[in-house]
Amino acid sequence: MAFKDHRDFFEVLEKNGELTRIAQEVDWDLEVGAIGRKVYETGGPCLLFEKIKDYPKGFRISNGTTGTWSRVGLAMGLRRNASVREIYKTYEEKLSQKIPPRIVKKEDAPCKENIMIGDNVDLYKFPSPMIHEGDGGRYIGTWDVVVCKDPETGWTNWGMYRFMVHTKDWLTGWPQSTSQLAMIFKERYLPKNQPMPVAIVLGTDPVSHIIATAPIGIQESEVDYVGGIRGAPVELVACETIDLLVPAHAEIVIEGELMPDKIAPDGPFGEYPGYRSGTMCEGVAVKVKAISYRSHPIVTMIALGIPPDDASIAASLTAAVSMKKGLLRRGVPVTEVYVPPEGVTHLIIVGVKKGGMEVARNVLDYFTARRVMTSKHIVVDEDVDVFNMAEVLHAFATKCHPGRGIAYEWYEGRANSLTPFYSPAERKKLKGVSVVFDSTWPPEWPKDIVPIKASFRTIYSQEVQERVIKNWEKYGLK
Amino acid sequence: MDKEWQTFVRRFDDLKEGEVELFVKDLTPGSKKYNTRHVRATVAKAKGALPEAELLWIRSESGITALEPWYIRILEELPEWVPGKPWENVLDITEKVKKRKSKVR
Repeated sequence: MAFKDHRDFFEVLEKNGELTRIAQEVDWDLEVGAIGRKVYETGGPCLLFEKIKDYPKGFRISNGTTGTWSRVGLAMGLRRNASVREIYKTYEEKLSQKIPPRIVKKEDAPCKENIMIGDNVDLYKFPSPMIHEGDGGRYIGTWDVVVCKDPETGWTNWGMYRFMVHTKDWLTGWPQSTSQLAMIFKERYLPKNQPMPVAIVLGTDPVSHIIATAPIGIQESEVDYVGGIRGAPVELVACETIDLLVPAHAEIVIEGELMPDKIAPDGPFGEYPGYRSGTMCEGVAVKVKAISYRSHPIVTMIALGIPPDDASIAASLTAAVSMKKGLLRRGVPVTEVYVPPEGVTHLIIVGVKKGGMEVARNVLDYFTARRVMTSKHIVVDEDVDVFNMAEVLHAFATKCHPGRGIAYEWYEGRANSLTPFYSPAERKKLKGVSVVFDSTWPPEWPKDIVPIKASFRTIYSQEVQERVIKNWEKYGLK
Repeated sequence: MDKEWQTFVRRFDDLKEGEVELFVKDLTPGSKKYNTRHVRATVAKAKGALPEAELLWIRSESGITALEPWYIRILEELPEWVPGKPWENVLDITEKVKKRKSKVR
């Protein structure tokens, strides 16, 4: 089933016991954030806050739309308890087909039910949450889709970046300076001192939000991949004041211009690595020109923080599949890549058919070649289940040689400044370091010296294994 | 009750007493709480030094609040932004603009 929006997805979540509606009035100022955070940390459901203090009934906030693997599985059309491996496999398969979007008329676009333009724009009409105590402001854009376009090639880019309410008609935000949005802006608009049209979209279909986190290639449009994964085109509609197309079934669409010559404070903000660290007052300012929204709109929040949450789960899926493709293109004999949500895309597990330091260095080179969002990479042999962190840890602890199994590389100008262990000076220069841990057996070792893994499957003969399995219940075991 | 404001600095020591330009957030409860204003103002650590002043809470870049509030008297409303290119440091630019204006005066 292809979900059109958050609302039909919420119906399915509700049927599967994955949605809780909160009818009691809650405060947008910290209370919704604290509830959302606690629910993430206890593996709880998606939340829909239906009565928000200071706001009329019908103005709502959600949290955690796809904040667990179960909900990601449902969003992908799988059963609720699909395994992580199954979700990865389905995503990888569906990513191979692209379906272009379909443009619909304004009258067929639910996001046009209400429109504010020009002087009527007022961001305070919406219950933007103050998510964490000590944040720089009220973040309306957390689980969003941010749309921009290369005016020369027509390439439309979707990404996910934070945006904060600055005043009634200004937003400030922090798309990373190494992001594709930044690349388009710096190449096409900044040299001409022109503002760049951007649309911040809240609450469209769940796959669109997941794909907005994906490292899709330059000049490739995310919306085509969303269509492929959904098995149906995404319906888009023209914006009111800027030349962009946005999801027609979105809850709220904020149209604006990213200014080339004006800035204002953004942040600090409790970010996806699970900390509020740095990244303040070094972002962008957007003058809002129009807001269109559905009646009874939902501000789609993610109370970001320590994993798991929507960001760490979505990035686990989208980043891993992209990394696998990239590593294969580079000639690394990859079997599988896993990005454990607990590692918040700082930690990557790479399974290979043949290991050794040469392969490990090749892995490190791939991850440090361009902008670097990761920092620790563990390479394991193919007999290790990359999705099983107990097996990965065992391989790392027992096979990685501290003297010759570790390589690292420094770089400048392309590190992820949200990495908590970087000093303020390193963050400012985007200076970073990445490391690879070769947790494979050296390929040059003859077979007769390679230690034998003492597991049931590897240290007993087939005959002994079969006998034990056959008699299992006779032993009184279940 | 005194009106309350909040501002962010990288380090608590960065804020100096006297006339400053800064972005402040209005902490008045209601749907517009945390609205930002860019102002020229006089700030002081002690209320006695600034008659008819309002409360100013200081937070650092990690979001923690200084134990004691400062006091602020807003002198002038400024545009919602400062001139600068995206990803430039807003606080550095605010400081430079202030120094430039001081020289002109």
